[in-house]
Amino acid sequence: MSYESYLAGDPVVVTVALTGGVHGKEANPNIPETPEEIGAAAAACERAGASVVHLHARRPDGERSFETERFQRVNDAVRDATEDVVIQNSTGGTGAPLEERRSSLRTDPPPEMASLDMGPLNRYQHLTSENTRHTIEELGREMRERGITPELEVFNNGHLNETYRLLDQGIIEEPPYINLIFGGGTTSPPHPRNLLNLVDGLPEGSPFNVLGFGPHQLPLTTMAILLGGHVRVGLEDNVYYRRGEPAESNAQLVERIVRVAEELGRPVATTEQARGILGLD
Amino acid sequence: MAHDRCPHLDYRESSGDEEFETARAYCTVVDSFVEPMRADVCNARYGLDFGTDCEFYEEPEQ
Repeated sequence: MSYESYLAGDPVVVTVALTGGVHGKEANPNIPETPEEIGAAAAACERAGASVVHLHARRPDGERSFETERFQRVNDAVRDATEDVVIQNSTGGTGAPLEERRSSLRTDPPPEMASLDMGPLNRYQHLTSENTRHTIEELGREMRERGITPELEVFNNGHLNETYRLLDQGIIEEPPYINLIFGGGTTSPPHPRNLLNLVDGLPEGSPFNVLGFGPHQLPLTTMAILLGGHVRVGLEDNVYYRRGEPAESNAQLVERIVRVAEELGRPVATTEQARGILGLD
Repeated sequence: MAHDRCPHLDYRESSGDEEFETARAYCTVVDSFVEPMRADVCNARYGLDFGTDCEFYEEPEQ
């Protein structure tokens, strides 16, 4: 993945993070929370050009759920509502123990992909998503056993060290698919030079995705397109369309990045092309 | 901790003109609805403790 990929007009994979688990309708009433709402949002985003949907599960009151049954309902709703998208379940879970976080891997069928956090992330004043090496390795092994492709969540550049360690140990396969994350706190400081440095440090041949929180979603995903990378947008990461204007839907954010990609000369990947790029074939 | 959920946690079925199908977590200390991830602290799930893990928690007056 490189500027040469941009010049070659390689397709760009669009992932949409539909719901998340940190904030909910209190932040933007357009965030889908129920399985039915998430399924409808996935269908709209598929029509707009997204080929991968990143999913969390919630209780009826919008709070986080780690139960396999709730992930199953969300996965089923997405499959029923869409033609053909890649389902990527989250294994993230600040404060939740490993056994809870495994639950999203145990749907039937398993998701094609799942997120795998590469290290700690601070939350609020007293919480940390610890993501110990033990937790990461256990989740990675279970993904491998179940034939689930991980998306490696690189919250900051130190997590590239952890990525190389997992590759050396053979817990994840080469080339890994890496998500570079920019925002506040212990994520990478959101600046173009930091994205350039992280891309320079990626394992040879690794496709990469970029996620920017809040106002950094549009500029850094645009930069990812120029660097031959892929993009993640959606209301989990950003509840605004522009400053002071709440986003109307996930699809609105997908439509915008699709327009940007096409204007810059990179076609949006079909789901079949995305499976090839992500090694899901 | 004597409580299994924060004494400042309330579940409300509406916000202004908006009605919810299921009541949502509300913090009476900061007077706002609670983010879903914070609600796990309010409800003392997964070993989280609102007395130590929430920066807004206040000891109730006796």
